[in-house]
Amino acid sequence: MIDYEPQVLAFACHYCAYAAADLAGSMRLNYPPNVKVLHLPCTGKVDVIYLLRAFEKGADAVFVAG
Amino acid sequence: MSDNGYIVGSNLEKALKAGYFVATGELGPPQSADRHEIEHKAKFLKGIVESVNITDCQTAVVRMSSISVAVILLELGIEPNIQMTCRDRNRIAIQSDLLGAYALGCRNLLCLTGDHQTFGNHPQSKNVHDLDSISLLQMCRDMRDKKIFQCGEPIKGQEPRFFLGAAANPFADPFEFRPYRLGKKVAAGADFIQTQLIFNVPKFQEFMRRVVDLGLHEKVYILAGVGPIKSLAAAQYMATKVPGMEVDPEYIERMKNATKGLPSLAEIKNMPPQEAAEARRLRKEASEAEGIRICVEIINECKKIEGVHGVHIMAIEWEEAVDQIVRQAQIGPKYDPARQSATLQTD
Amino acid sequence: MIVAQQKPLEEIMGMIANAEKVLILGCGTCVTVCFAGGEKEVAILASQLRMATRLAGHEKEIREFTVQRQCEYEYNEQAADYVRDADLIVSLACGIGVQTMNEQFPEKLTVPGLNTSGLSQPTEQGVWEERCQACGDCILALTGGLCPIARCAKSLLNGPCGGSQRGICEVYAERQTPCVWDQIYHRLKDLGQLEKLMEIRPPKNWHTSRDGGQRKIVREDLRL
Repeated sequence: MIDYEPQVLAFACHYCAYAAADLAGSMRLNYPPNVKVLHLPCTGKVDVIYLLRAFEKGADAVFVAG
Repeated sequence: MSDNGYIVGSNLEKALKAGYFVATGELGPPQSADRHEIEHKAKFLKGIVESVNITDCQTAVVRMSSISVAVILLELGIEPNIQMTCRDRNRIAIQSDLLGAYALGCRNLLCLTGDHQTFGNHPQSKNVHDLDSISLLQMCRDMRDKKIFQCGEPIKGQEPRFFLGAAANPFADPFEFRPYRLGKKVAAGADFIQTQLIFNVPKFQEFMRRVVDLGLHEKVYILAGVGPIKSLAAAQYMATKVPGMEVDPEYIERMKNATKGLPSLAEIKNMPPQEAAEARRLRKEASEAEGIRICVEIINECKKIEGVHGVHIMAIEWEEAVDQIVRQAQIGPKYDPARQSATLQTD
Repeated sequence: MIVAQQKPLEEIMGMIANAEKVLILGCGTCVTVCFAGGEKEVAILASQLRMATRLAGHEKEIREFTVQRQCEYEYNEQAADYVRDADLIVSLACGIGVQTMNEQFPEKLTVPGLNTSGLSQPTEQGVWEERCQACGDCILALTGGLCPIARCAKSLLNGPCGGSQRGICEVYAERQTPCVWDQIYHRLKDLGQLEKLMEIRPPKNWHTSRDGGQRKIVREDLRL
């Protein structure tokens, strides 16, 4: 389990969380490469089906930031 | 009406018509095919009440059928009031059973809607409710007086003739409609009424005032439901857990005080076994005596209420108490002084 | 409307155990409105079943389709290709939809993914209360517009019984179901029609209900 690297999918809102991630990038801050960011126009668009699909396609964890 | 002026001429009808303050009893059938349990309970009721209600799977728990137990009581020389609910039988089964019950010698019948099956031991069962208590009464009255089945076909031959009873709960809501609902039962054919257990006398008095205002007390015999409280826990249970029941806090207080001065349950726990058993016995006796005292007081209150023609004593699983109650209240065939002199005269 | 609830996943897993290709078929009418069997619920169940069968060791092929109304042949025709490819159909329609599918596509078995649970009114968001039992002989004119057949635990016609306390029915007291006969009393009182409660209602003629056998309406004026 030591080598276990969970695949994490982040649903990020264009106006806040995604902008924050952008800022982090321009500040050269690192975040783990096993977190994939998915850009959403608004987290209000998140649907339970998106989350289920994410798990179905192999995500180990999902987080919604907005 | 038959020639002798009685509807059916049962003991219960005769005693009510004679104007005595009557007492009926109640016997809960066993949850088995054991005849001896009935014989044992019946001993405590024989000769001291006019007739004995036999519940029809009360609280929807499977028990020996009311009509079968009635036949056993008849063999023992006790007049039964059979009970019939609409929960388990449709109009076909009810009429069929009533033809049989009459042929077997039953003469009094209490018509009920029935407790919902979710209260009993088969909550997954399907209920029937083809009729309700009021349409059941009407059907039984028409079988008796019009000699017709519910479908309108004539009964060719002996019709089932029952002295018809119904229940009333003065403590259910809406309170203001309850006397009218009693009136509907009278209009549907009720000859007598047995009420829910009364532990709130002022509310019952108010209910009876309204019943009398409607003139119903002149059309139907009303028996007030009473019963002895066995313990404080029983009183608290009835007050909080039994739907459609109201218990005056005063009675709960009195049951609490009944065991004052005796060792508490906590103290009993630390006693040596023999001493504990004795202390428990004393507590039980004190509670039971107070429970019976309260019951007798309520009966004496009921005697004073206009329109009340007697009491229905429900001492299920405590049939032994009935003798003490009717003796102390001086009612029923054995202990009513009015009836003793009547017997002497006829002798 | 007709309301339904999805069966537990384990039960659905049991029903599809022997099938390889499964079609989840939704219905776009009543069960969509009550969030039990519309396009979205089909997608959720399909996803759950894919993952569950994968975790159980062998992922089944789960396909999705939703028709406008599963109780009518014309709409189900659109699902014909999906039905042909499937070993088994899990219907997320009411019991009528399930039976229509079995009748229309007898070569394939359609099993129910929902429990159809009544004719109800959405009384607030996420709450549906039973209002009608389709007894076939409506008496709402006599009861102030409140149905005792569907809403009284004993379907009384001459209520309320002794188990009515403070407006609440004694059956499943924890649910705090209003006593409909208490409601009828107050409604008729407000309407000045209490005399309706004084009449004795005779035994109901149940033959218009399920008790008379399966019911069938034939409208000659509408037949072709």
